[in-house]
Amino acid sequence: MNTSTIDIGYLALAAGYLLLIIPILLILYYRVKLLKSMLVSILRMTVQLLLVGFYLQFIFQLNLWWLNLLWLLVMAGAADLSIIHSAGVTVRKFALPLFVAVLAGTAVPLAFFLSVILQLPYLFEAQYFIPIAGMIMGNCLRASIIGLSDFYRSIYQEEKAYQLLLAQGANLQEAVLPYARRAYHAALNPTIASMATIGLVALPGMMTGIIMGGASPMTAIKYQIAIMIAIFVGTALTVLLSIRLTRRGSFTAYGTLDPAIFTEKPA
Amino acid sequence: MNDSWRCEFRHVSIRFNGRPVLADFNLGLRPGERVVLTGDSGAGKSTVLRCLLGFVAPDQGRIFVDGEELTAESVWRLRRRMAFVPQEADLGRGRVREILRRPFGYKANADLGFPETELPELLERFFLSEALLQEEIRTLSGGEKQRVAIVAALLLHRPIMLLDEATSALDREARMAVQDYFAGRSELTVLAVSHDTHFQELAHRVVELQPPQGRNAR
Repeated sequence: MNTSTIDIGYLALAAGYLLLIIPILLILYYRVKLLKSMLVSILRMTVQLLLVGFYLQFIFQLNLWWLNLLWLLVMAGAADLSIIHSAGVTVRKFALPLFVAVLAGTAVPLAFFLSVILQLPYLFEAQYFIPIAGMIMGNCLRASIIGLSDFYRSIYQEEKAYQLLLAQGANLQEAVLPYARRAYHAALNPTIASMATIGLVALPGMMTGIIMGGASPMTAIKYQIAIMIAIFVGTALTVLLSIRLTRRGSFTAYGTLDPAIFTEKPA
Repeated sequence: MNDSWRCEFRHVSIRFNGRPVLADFNLGLRPGERVVLTGDSGAGKSTVLRCLLGFVAPDQGRIFVDGEELTAESVWRLRRRMAFVPQEADLGRGRVREILRRPFGYKANADLGFPETELPELLERFFLSEALLQEEIRTLSGGEKQRVAIVAALLLHRPIMLLDEATSALDREARMAVQDYFAGRSELTVLAVSHDTHFQELAHRVVELQPPQGRNAR
């Protein structure tokens, strides 16, 4: 692989912002109520990515195994809080099990990717470890939010149907099974759908990145296939663990859902 | 303690968000007894049934089923003595036959086989066609769903039947067929919430519940 990616100068990047005139004019002309949120989002994107760029550069230069691992733990913590916030559940009951779910869901396919597929002599090589971990975890986060929300919200909203299963003699595992099945379906379906259309509609980010980094398209698609598999495995594992590990604390001893798990009650 | 009660409520009090729903409620049902609960909305009628199934835990008082106290531990076993027909029965998703068959897959019901042979007679008694078994439950009318819920409860062969407005969506003919059926099954202990006069006439006892605040005012 050569490192022929052309760098972008800061002035040139600033010029890129000029293109924004087009959507801004559209928003102003049609009085779409998005101007403020658009400006805030652009600002956030810029600041967040600059920060990520700075600290990743730092991490890449040092390339210490413990620092890379620490980065993974911090990202898992951030993902954990993001899931809790999006799913509207309590930190007290969900923080620890979801942290474990995200970390394990990311670590298992990551370790497999780095050791078996890439066969890296040094597994914590920042150049591979960090971007691949980030891609897997980002998808685990999304899947966990969908799966967890679907599971607990459905049981809350369909409380009567759920309780009828208990009345009919179901134990907790049997009573939650139809809801878990639906949650897994909802959480896994987006990745399955994207695998079916990948490459047809749009070129995936990782593949384009590797091509622009100077590698051949064939190398790029091999990475893309491997990452899609890793993502799918990671999301499946994370959703499974997200539901299984939080279940114990979310139901009363009588088998009913504890409404106190929600910070805001589902509509 | 009287062991001959099939179900018994002793001094049960329940509050929802600080509002009393049941205050010092006492009731005992003997085996084979049919009791109809009546009273204004908010009097706690559904709560009585939901308590017995362990869906609502009393703040005070105790509940017994066949002499055994209902606790977080015993509830899983005691639920197997009861069959429940909820108000506006929501039976989940799937075809009617799958829904009727589903409980027989649970470990707690492992000793029961799906009593397929009883189905035609039950369906006929409640004016349901056998073709309905192939339908998706969500395509059924409210009255049909309610009767399917009753059939589902009866198939489990439980000695205690808890009926929460179980005939509210039925026309007069179907309603009477269901109520007469329960009156004819004298071995069943029935605790029913109903405002229906025919059902009340068929009951051994009618218990009128009043909201706890109202009771104090009178």
